[in-house]
Amino acid sequence: MIKRIEDWTYYELLNVERTASQEEIREGYQAALATYAPGSLAAYGLVTDDERRQIAGRIEEAYQTLCDPERKEAYDLSLLKRSYYYSPKAPFRRTVGRLEIEEAPPKRGFRQALRRLFPRRKGAAGPD
Amino acid sequence: MDKRIWAVGGGKGGTGKSFVSSGLGLHLASLGHDVMLVDADLGGPNLHTLLGMRNGHPDLGDFLTNRVGSLEEAAVETPYEGLRIVRGSENILFIANLNHYKKLRLLRQVRQLAAQDVILDLGTGSSYNTLDFFLSADPGIVVATPEPTAIENSYLFLKSCIMRVLKLYMDHYKIPDLHQKMLEQIEKNSQSLYSFFKSLLESDRSYGTILYRALRNFRPCLIMNKARDQADAELGRSVADVARRYLLIDLHFLGAIPYDARVHSSLKALQPFTTAHPDSAAARAIRSAAEELIYAVEHSRRTPPEIGFPSPR
Repeated sequence: MIKRIEDWTYYELLNVERTASQEEIREGYQAALATYAPGSLAAYGLVTDDERRQIAGRIEEAYQTLCDPERKEAYDLSLLKRSYYYSPKAPFRRTVGRLEIEEAPPKRGFRQALRRLFPRRKGAAGPD
Repeated sequence: MDKRIWAVGGGKGGTGKSFVSSGLGLHLASLGHDVMLVDADLGGPNLHTLLGMRNGHPDLGDFLTNRVGSLEEAAVETPYEGLRIVRGSENILFIANLNHYKKLRLLRQVRQLAAQDVILDLGTGSSYNTLDFFLSADPGIVVATPEPTAIENSYLFLKSCIMRVLKLYMDHYKIPDLHQKMLEQIEKNSQSLYSFFKSLLESDRSYGTILYRALRNFRPCLIMNKARDQADAELGRSVADVARRYLLIDLHFLGAIPYDARVHSSLKALQPFTTAHPDSAAARAIRSAAEELIYAVEHSRRTPPEIGFPSPR
Protein backbone atom coordinates (compact mmCIF):
# COMPACT_ATOMS: atom_id res chain seq x y z
CA MET A 1 0.00 0.00 0.00
CA ILE A 2 1.27 3.42 -0.90
CA LYS A 3 1.35 5.82 2.04
CA ARG A 4 1.91 9.50 2.59
CA ILE A 5 4.90 10.54 4.68
CA GLU A 6 2.50 11.48 7.49
CA ASP A 7 1.41 7.84 7.61
CA TRP A 8 4.91 6.34 7.97
CA THR A 9 5.61 4.89 11.37
CA TYR A 10 8.60 6.11 13.37
CA TYR A 11 10.38 2.87 12.53
CA GLU A 12 9.78 3.37 8.83
CA LEU A 13 11.01 6.94 9.08
CA LEU A 14 14.30 5.80 10.59
CA ASN A 15 14.51 2.71 8.34
CA VAL A 16 14.86 0.34 11.27
CA GLU A 17 13.07 -2.83 12.31
CA ARG A 18 10.66 -2.78 15.22
CA THR A 19 13.08 -5.03 17.06
CA ALA A 20 16.01 -2.62 16.51
CA SER A 21 18.38 -1.95 19.40
CA GLN A 22 19.06 1.55 20.71
CA GLU A 23 22.32 1.57 18.78
CA GLU A 24 20.56 0.69 15.52
CA ILE A 25 17.93 3.34 16.16
CA ARG A 26 20.66 5.95 16.70
CA GLU A 27 22.41 4.90 13.47
CA GLY A 28 19.11 5.01 11.56
CA TYR A 29 18.43 8.47 12.97
CA GLN A 30 21.83 9.79 11.93
CA ALA A 31 21.48 8.40 8.40
CA ALA A 32 17.96 9.81 8.05
CA LEU A 33 19.09 13.17 9.41
CA ALA A 34 21.96 13.30 6.88
CA THR A 35 19.54 12.52 4.04
CA TYR A 36 17.20 15.40 4.93
CA ALA A 37 19.72 17.90 6.32
CA PRO A 38 19.71 21.42 4.82
CA GLY A 39 21.72 21.38 1.59
CA SER A 40 21.55 17.59 1.31
CA LEU A 41 22.50 16.34 -2.14
CA ALA A 42 20.06 13.43 -1.89
CA ALA A 43 17.09 15.77 -1.64
CA TYR A 44 18.35 18.05 -4.39
CA GLY A 45 15.92 18.62 -7.23
CA LEU A 46 13.09 16.54 -5.78
CA VAL A 47 12.21 17.63 -2.26
CA THR A 48 11.14 21.21 -1.61
CA ASP A 49 12.45 23.06 1.45
CA ASP A 50 9.05 22.85 3.16
CA GLU A 51 8.84 19.12 2.54
CA ARG A 52 12.39 18.65 3.78
CA ARG A 53 11.69 20.58 6.96
CA GLN A 54 8.53 18.58 7.54
CA ILE A 55 10.23 15.19 7.24
CA ALA A 56 13.24 16.34 9.27
CA GLY A 57 10.79 17.33 12.03
CA ARG A 58 9.13 13.92 11.93
CA ILE A 59 12.52 12.18 12.02
CA GLU A 60 13.47 14.19 15.10
CA GLU A 61 10.12 13.34 16.71
CA ALA A 62 10.64 9.66 15.84
CA TYR A 63 14.08 9.59 17.44
CA GLN A 64 12.97 11.45 20.58
CA THR A 65 10.23 8.85 21.02
CA LEU A 66 12.20 5.72 20.20
CA CYS A 67 15.31 6.59 22.21
CA ASP A 68 13.27 6.94 25.38
CA PRO A 69 12.34 3.40 26.57
CA GLU A 70 9.12 4.51 28.26
CA ARG A 71 7.86 6.54 25.32
CA LYS A 72 8.96 3.76 22.96
CA GLU A 73 6.94 1.20 24.85
CA ALA A 74 3.85 3.41 24.82
CA TYR A 75 4.31 4.02 21.09
CA ASP A 76 4.77 0.30 20.35
CA LEU A 77 1.57 -0.42 22.27
CA SER A 78 -0.31 2.24 20.36
CA LEU A 79 0.89 0.69 17.10
CA LEU A 80 -0.31 -2.72 18.19
CA LYS A 81 -3.67 -1.38 19.29
CA ARG A 82 -4.29 0.27 15.97
CA SER A 83 -3.15 -2.55 13.74
CA TYR A 84 -5.32 -5.55 13.06
CA TYR A 85 -3.58 -8.85 13.39
CA TYR A 86 -2.98 -10.84 10.28
CA SER A 87 -0.81 -13.88 10.21
CA PRO A 88 2.42 -13.37 8.21
CA LYS A 89 0.97 -15.64 5.55
CA ALA A 90 -2.18 -13.56 5.03
CA PRO A 91 -2.52 -13.41 1.26
CA PHE A 92 -3.80 -9.83 1.10
CA ARG A 93 -2.85 -6.43 2.36
CA ARG A 94 -4.80 -4.39 4.84
CA THR A 95 -6.54 -1.20 3.66
CA VAL A 96 -6.02 -1.89 0.01
CA GLY A 97 -9.59 -2.91 -0.64
CA ARG A 98 -11.23 -5.24 -3.03
CA LEU A 99 -8.63 -5.23 -5.80
CA GLU A 100 -5.92 -6.74 -3.65
CA ILE A 101 -8.13 -9.24 -1.91
CA GLU A 102 -8.98 -10.63 -5.32
CA GLU A 103 -5.44 -11.88 -5.46
CA ALA A 104 -6.03 -14.20 -2.54
CA PRO A 105 -6.35 -17.87 -3.47
CA PRO A 106 -9.96 -19.09 -3.75
CA LYS A 107 -11.54 -19.78 -0.39
CA ARG A 108 -11.75 -23.44 0.52
CA GLY A 109 -15.37 -24.43 0.85
CA PHE A 110 -17.08 -27.22 2.72
CA ARG A 111 -16.80 -29.51 -0.29
CA GLN A 112 -13.01 -29.06 -0.51
CA ALA A 113 -12.68 -29.66 3.25
CA LEU A 114 -14.57 -32.93 2.87
CA ARG A 115 -12.42 -33.88 -0.12
CA ARG A 116 -9.29 -33.39 1.97
CA LEU A 117 -10.64 -35.52 4.80
CA PHE A 118 -11.88 -38.24 2.46
CA PRO A 119 -9.61 -38.23 -0.60
CA ARG A 120 -10.95 -39.96 -3.65
CA ARG A 121 -9.56 -43.44 -4.09
CA LYS A 122 -7.56 -44.19 -7.21
CA GLY A 123 -9.66 -45.61 -10.04
CA ALA A 124 -12.93 -44.77 -8.30
CA ALA A 125 -15.49 -43.53 -10.79
CA GLY A 126 -18.18 -41.03 -10.04
CA PRO A 127 -19.41 -37.58 -10.78
CA ASP A 128 -17.06 -34.72 -9.92
CA MET B 1 16.33 -20.26 -17.06
CA ASP B 2 14.43 -17.07 -18.00
CA LYS B 3 16.12 -14.53 -20.19
CA ARG B 4 17.43 -11.55 -18.26
CA ILE B 5 17.15 -8.12 -19.83
CA TRP B 6 18.84 -5.26 -18.04
CA ALA B 7 18.86 -1.66 -19.23
CA VAL B 8 21.43 0.84 -18.07
CA GLY B 9 20.21 4.43 -18.22
CA GLY B 10 19.94 7.70 -16.35
CA GLY B 11 19.24 11.29 -17.17
CA LYS B 12 22.69 12.80 -17.44
CA GLY B 13 25.55 12.18 -19.83
CA GLY B 14 29.02 11.23 -18.60
CA THR B 15 27.88 9.30 -15.54
CA GLY B 16 29.39 6.07 -16.86
CA LYS B 17 26.42 4.17 -18.29
CA SER B 18 28.46 2.53 -21.05
CA PHE B 19 31.28 1.84 -18.59
CA VAL B 20 28.84 0.04 -16.28
CA SER B 21 27.14 -1.81 -19.17
CA SER B 22 30.45 -3.11 -20.52
CA GLY B 23 31.63 -4.05 -17.02
CA LEU B 24 28.42 -5.97 -16.25
CA GLY B 25 28.53 -7.72 -19.62
CA LEU B 26 32.16 -8.74 -19.25
CA HIS B 27 31.59 -10.10 -15.77
CA LEU B 28 28.53 -12.14 -16.76
CA ALA B 29 30.46 -13.53 -19.76
CA SER B 30 33.35 -14.46 -17.47
CA LEU B 31 30.87 -16.44 -15.35
CA GLY B 32 30.08 -18.52 -18.44
CA HIS B 33 26.84 -16.76 -19.40
CA ASP B 34 25.88 -16.11 -22.98
CA VAL B 35 25.67 -12.30 -23.02
CA MET B 36 24.51 -9.80 -25.62
CA LEU B 37 25.20 -6.08 -25.30
CA VAL B 38 22.94 -3.79 -27.31
CA ASP B 39 24.13 -0.24 -27.81
CA ALA B 40 20.77 1.51 -27.67
CA ASP B 41 22.34 4.92 -27.12
CA LEU B 42 20.72 6.18 -30.28
CA GLY B 43 22.22 9.66 -30.15
CA GLY B 44 25.86 8.80 -29.43
CA PRO B 45 26.79 5.14 -29.48
CA ASN B 46 30.26 4.15 -28.28
CA LEU B 47 29.91 0.94 -26.32
CA HIS B 48 32.07 -0.87 -28.88
CA THR B 49 34.93 1.53 -28.13
CA LEU B 50 34.89 0.58 -24.46
CA LEU B 51 35.36 -3.03 -25.56
CA GLY B 52 38.29 -2.08 -27.77
CA MET B 53 36.37 -2.50 -31.03
CA ARG B 54 36.03 -0.23 -34.03
CA ASN B 55 32.75 0.90 -35.48
CA GLY B 56 31.53 -0.98 -38.55
CA HIS B 57 28.80 -3.06 -40.08
CA PRO B 58 26.54 -4.79 -39.29
CA ASP B 59 25.08 -2.52 -36.64
CA LEU B 60 21.74 -1.43 -35.20
CA GLY B 61 21.10 0.84 -38.20
CA ASP B 62 21.38 -2.16 -40.55
CA PHE B 63 18.61 -3.86 -38.63
CA LEU B 64 16.39 -0.78 -38.56
CA THR B 65 16.82 -0.21 -42.31
CA ASN B 66 16.15 -3.90 -43.02
CA ARG B 67 19.62 -4.57 -44.41
CA VAL B 68 19.68 -7.51 -42.05
CA GLY B 69 16.57 -9.53 -41.26
CA SER B 70 16.80 -9.65 -37.48
CA LEU B 71 18.60 -8.06 -34.56
CA GLU B 72 20.40 -11.35 -34.04
CA GLU B 73 22.02 -10.95 -37.46
CA ALA B 74 23.22 -7.47 -36.50
CA ALA B 75 25.20 -8.90 -33.57
CA VAL B 76 28.96 -9.41 -33.81
CA GLU B 77 31.42 -11.28 -31.64
CA THR B 78 33.63 -9.27 -29.27
CA PRO B 79 37.20 -10.27 -28.39
CA TYR B 80 35.76 -11.72 -25.15
CA GLU B 81 34.36 -15.22 -24.98
CA GLY B 82 30.62 -15.44 -24.45
CA LEU B 83 30.08 -11.73 -25.16
CA ARG B 84 28.47 -10.41 -28.32
CA ILE B 85 27.42 -6.89 -29.21
CA VAL B 86 24.94 -5.09 -31.43
CA ARG B 87 26.89 -1.94 -32.18
CA GLY B 88 25.18 1.44 -32.37
CA SER B 89 24.64 3.01 -35.75
CA GLU B 90 26.94 5.52 -37.39
CA ASN B 91 23.88 7.03 -39.03
CA ILE B 92 22.96 8.99 -35.92
CA LEU B 93 20.54 11.52 -37.42
CA PHE B 94 18.28 8.87 -38.83
CA ILE B 95 18.36 6.49 -35.93
CA ALA B 96 17.94 8.93 -33.04
CA ASN B 97 14.45 9.79 -34.27
CA LEU B 98 13.09 6.28 -34.18
CA ASN B 99 9.40 6.06 -35.00
CA HIS B 100 6.90 4.11 -32.91
CA TYR B 101 6.73 1.12 -35.24
CA LYS B 102 10.51 0.72 -35.41
CA LYS B 103 10.77 1.06 -31.65
CA LEU B 104 8.24 -1.72 -31.07
CA ARG B 105 10.00 -3.93 -33.61
CA LEU B 106 13.32 -3.33 -31.88
CA LEU B 107 11.84 -4.11 -28.44
CA ARG B 108 10.28 -7.31 -29.78
CA GLN B 109 13.56 -8.39 -31.34
CA VAL B 110 15.48 -7.68 -28.14
CA ARG B 111 13.22 -10.18 -26.37
CA GLN B 112 13.86 -12.72 -29.12
CA LEU B 113 17.67 -12.49 -29.03
CA ALA B 114 19.29 -15.87 -28.58
CA ALA B 115 21.24 -14.91 -25.46
CA GLN B 116 20.71 -15.67 -21.81
CA ASP B 117 21.54 -12.13 -20.72
CA VAL B 118 20.83 -8.99 -22.69
CA ILE B 119 22.15 -5.62 -21.54
CA LEU B 120 20.80 -2.46 -23.17
CA ASP B 121 23.06 0.56 -22.95
CA LEU B 122 20.79 3.59 -23.18
CA GLY B 123 21.48 7.19 -24.04
CA THR B 124 20.94 10.32 -21.99
CA GLY B 125 17.69 12.23 -21.69
CA SER B 126 14.09 11.25 -21.09
CA SER B 127 12.73 10.77 -24.60
CA TYR B 128 9.90 8.26 -24.99
CA ASN B 129 12.25 5.89 -26.82
CA THR B 130 14.77 5.84 -23.98
CA LEU B 131 12.03 5.51 -21.34
CA ASP B 132 10.37 2.62 -23.16
CA PHE B 133 13.65 0.72 -23.51
CA PHE B 134 14.33 1.31 -19.82
CA LEU B 135 10.85 0.17 -18.79
CA SER B 136 11.02 -2.93 -20.95
CA ALA B 137 13.93 -4.24 -18.89
CA ASP B 138 13.83 -5.94 -15.52
CA PRO B 139 15.44 -4.20 -13.87
CA GLY B 140 16.41 -0.86 -15.32
CA ILE B 141 19.59 0.44 -13.74
CA VAL B 142 20.10 4.16 -13.18
CA VAL B 143 23.72 5.24 -13.09
CA ALA B 144 24.34 8.50 -11.23
CA THR B 145 27.37 10.33 -9.93
CA PRO B 146 27.59 12.24 -6.63
CA GLU B 147 26.99 15.67 -8.15
CA PRO B 148 23.87 17.86 -7.91
CA THR B 149 23.43 17.89 -11.69
CA ALA B 150 23.51 14.10 -11.95
CA ILE B 151 21.21 13.61 -8.94
CA GLU B 152 18.74 16.15 -10.30
CA ASN B 153 18.70 14.49 -13.72
CA SER B 154 18.35 11.04 -12.19
CA TYR B 155 15.23 12.13 -10.33
CA LEU B 156 13.93 13.75 -13.49
CA PHE B 157 14.54 10.52 -15.38
CA LEU B 158 12.77 8.46 -12.71
CA LYS B 159 9.86 10.92 -12.62
CA SER B 160 9.53 10.65 -16.40
CA CYS B 161 9.50 6.85 -16.09
CA ILE B 162 6.78 7.03 -13.43
CA MET B 163 4.65 9.36 -15.53
CA ARG B 164 5.06 7.01 -18.47
CA VAL B 165 4.12 3.97 -16.36
CA LEU B 166 1.06 5.75 -14.95
CA LYS B 167 -0.03 6.91 -18.39
CA LEU B 168 0.26 3.40 -19.84
CA TYR B 169 -1.56 1.94 -16.83
CA MET B 170 -4.39 4.47 -17.00
CA ASP B 171 -4.74 4.02 -20.75
CA HIS B 172 -4.84 0.26 -20.37
CA TYR B 173 -7.38 0.22 -17.56
CA LYS B 174 -9.34 3.13 -19.04
CA ILE B 175 -9.12 5.57 -16.13
CA PRO B 176 -9.30 8.79 -18.16
CA ASP B 177 -10.35 11.02 -15.24
CA LEU B 178 -7.21 10.19 -13.32
CA HIS B 179 -5.03 10.67 -16.36
CA GLN B 180 -6.67 14.04 -16.97
CA LYS B 181 -6.07 15.01 -13.34
CA MET B 182 -2.41 14.02 -13.62
CA LEU B 183 -1.93 16.08 -16.77
CA GLU B 184 -3.64 19.12 -15.27
CA GLN B 185 -1.87 19.10 -11.93
CA ILE B 186 1.63 18.10 -12.97
CA GLU B 187 2.05 19.42 -16.47
CA LYS B 188 -0.10 22.56 -16.32
CA ASN B 189 0.13 23.57 -12.65
CA SER B 190 3.76 22.38 -12.21
CA GLN B 191 2.79 20.45 -9.10
CA SER B 192 5.42 18.02 -7.84
CA LEU B 193 4.77 14.33 -8.35
CA TYR B 194 4.64 13.79 -4.58
CA SER B 195 2.09 16.60 -4.05
CA PHE B 196 -0.02 15.04 -6.78
CA PHE B 197 0.17 11.60 -5.15
CA LYS B 198 -0.61 13.14 -1.78
CA SER B 199 -3.63 15.09 -3.01
CA LEU B 200 -4.90 11.92 -4.70
CA LEU B 201 -4.55 9.84 -1.53
CA GLU B 202 -6.25 12.56 0.51
CA SER B 203 -9.18 12.84 -1.89
CA ASP B 204 -9.79 9.09 -2.04
CA ARG B 205 -7.83 6.31 -0.33
CA SER B 206 -8.70 3.89 -3.12
CA TYR B 207 -6.37 5.85 -5.42
CA GLY B 208 -3.60 4.42 -3.27
CA THR B 209 -4.51 0.99 -4.60
CA ILE B 210 -4.36 2.19 -8.18
CA LEU B 211 -0.98 3.87 -7.68
CA TYR B 212 0.35 0.85 -5.84
CA ARG B 213 -0.73 -1.51 -8.57
CA ALA B 214 0.61 0.73 -11.32
CA LEU B 215 3.99 1.27 -9.72
CA ARG B 216 4.65 -2.02 -7.95
CA ASN B 217 6.38 -3.57 -10.95
CA PHE B 218 8.55 -0.54 -11.59
CA ARG B 219 11.47 -1.35 -9.33
CA PRO B 220 14.60 0.17 -10.80
CA CYS B 221 18.11 -0.12 -9.39
CA LEU B 222 20.69 2.55 -8.71
CA ILE B 223 24.47 2.58 -9.02
CA MET B 224 26.47 5.51 -7.69
CA ASN B 225 29.50 5.80 -9.93
CA LYS B 226 32.72 7.77 -9.35
CA ALA B 227 32.35 7.79 -5.56
CA ARG B 228 35.37 9.52 -4.01
CA ASP B 229 34.65 8.96 -0.33
CA GLN B 230 32.33 7.23 2.12
CA ALA B 231 29.83 10.12 2.00
CA ASP B 232 29.51 9.65 -1.78
CA ALA B 233 28.92 5.95 -1.28
CA GLU B 234 26.26 6.64 1.37
CA LEU B 235 24.57 9.11 -0.97
CA GLY B 236 23.21 6.23 -3.05
CA ARG B 237 21.37 4.87 -0.03
CA SER B 238 19.95 8.32 0.72
CA VAL B 239 18.79 8.80 -2.88
CA ALA B 240 17.02 5.43 -2.73
CA ASP B 241 15.35 6.51 0.52
CA VAL B 242 14.19 9.83 -0.94
CA ALA B 243 12.85 8.06 -4.06
CA ARG B 244 10.94 5.61 -1.90
CA ARG B 245 9.26 8.38 0.07
CA TYR B 246 8.72 11.05 -2.59
CA LEU B 247 8.38 9.03 -5.80
CA LEU B 248 6.70 6.03 -4.13
CA ILE B 249 8.95 3.55 -5.90
CA ASP B 250 11.22 0.82 -4.63
CA LEU B 251 14.63 2.00 -5.85
CA HIS B 252 17.16 -0.70 -5.06
CA PHE B 253 20.64 0.64 -4.35
CA LEU B 254 23.17 -1.75 -5.84
CA GLY B 255 26.25 -0.04 -4.50
CA ALA B 256 28.87 2.57 -5.26
CA ILE B 257 31.72 2.28 -7.74
CA PRO B 258 34.81 4.11 -6.47
CA TYR B 259 36.39 6.75 -8.69
CA ASP B 260 39.49 5.45 -10.46
CA ALA B 261 41.73 7.71 -12.54
CA ARG B 262 42.92 4.69 -14.55
CA VAL B 263 39.52 4.45 -16.28
CA HIS B 264 40.64 7.30 -18.51
CA SER B 265 43.93 5.67 -19.48
CA SER B 266 42.33 2.28 -20.18
CA LEU B 267 39.78 4.03 -22.41
CA LYS B 268 42.59 5.71 -24.34
CA ALA B 269 44.29 2.34 -24.72
CA LEU B 270 40.99 0.87 -26.04
CA GLN B 271 41.02 -1.72 -23.31
CA PRO B 272 38.07 -2.50 -21.00
CA PHE B 273 38.88 -1.22 -17.53
CA THR B 274 37.63 -4.30 -15.69
CA THR B 275 39.93 -6.60 -17.68
CA ALA B 276 42.92 -4.21 -17.50
CA HIS B 277 42.56 -3.72 -13.74
CA PRO B 278 40.58 -6.70 -12.46
CA ASP B 279 41.73 -6.23 -8.87
CA SER B 280 40.83 -2.56 -8.60
CA ALA B 281 38.09 -1.51 -6.19
CA ALA B 282 36.00 -0.22 -9.11
CA ALA B 283 36.16 -3.56 -10.96
CA ARG B 284 35.27 -5.39 -7.75
CA ALA B 285 32.29 -3.07 -7.21
CA ILE B 286 30.99 -3.79 -10.72
CA ARG B 287 31.33 -7.53 -10.19
CA SER B 288 29.52 -7.27 -6.90
CA ALA B 289 26.72 -5.19 -8.50
CA ALA B 290 26.34 -7.84 -11.24
CA GLU B 291 26.06 -10.61 -8.69
CA GLU B 292 23.63 -8.61 -6.58
CA LEU B 293 21.55 -8.06 -9.70
CA ILE B 294 21.48 -11.76 -10.50
CA TYR B 295 20.46 -12.45 -6.92
CA ALA B 296 17.94 -9.58 -6.83
CA VAL B 297 16.30 -10.56 -10.09
CA GLU B 298 16.09 -14.22 -9.26
CA HIS B 299 14.99 -14.00 -5.65
CA SER B 300 13.99 -10.84 -3.85
CA ARG B 301 12.31 -9.14 -6.79
CA ARG B 302 9.76 -11.90 -7.01
CA THR B 303 8.50 -11.29 -3.49
CA PRO B 304 6.11 -8.40 -2.82
CA PRO B 305 7.30 -5.43 -0.75
CA GLU B 306 6.95 -5.43 3.00
CA ILE B 307 3.49 -4.97 4.46
CA GLY B 308 3.19 -1.69 6.34
CA PHE B 309 0.75 -0.55 9.02
CA PRO B 310 -0.68 2.91 9.51
CA SER B 311 0.70 5.07 12.27
CA PRO B 312 -1.45 6.17 15.21
CA ARG B 313 -2.87 9.64 14.93
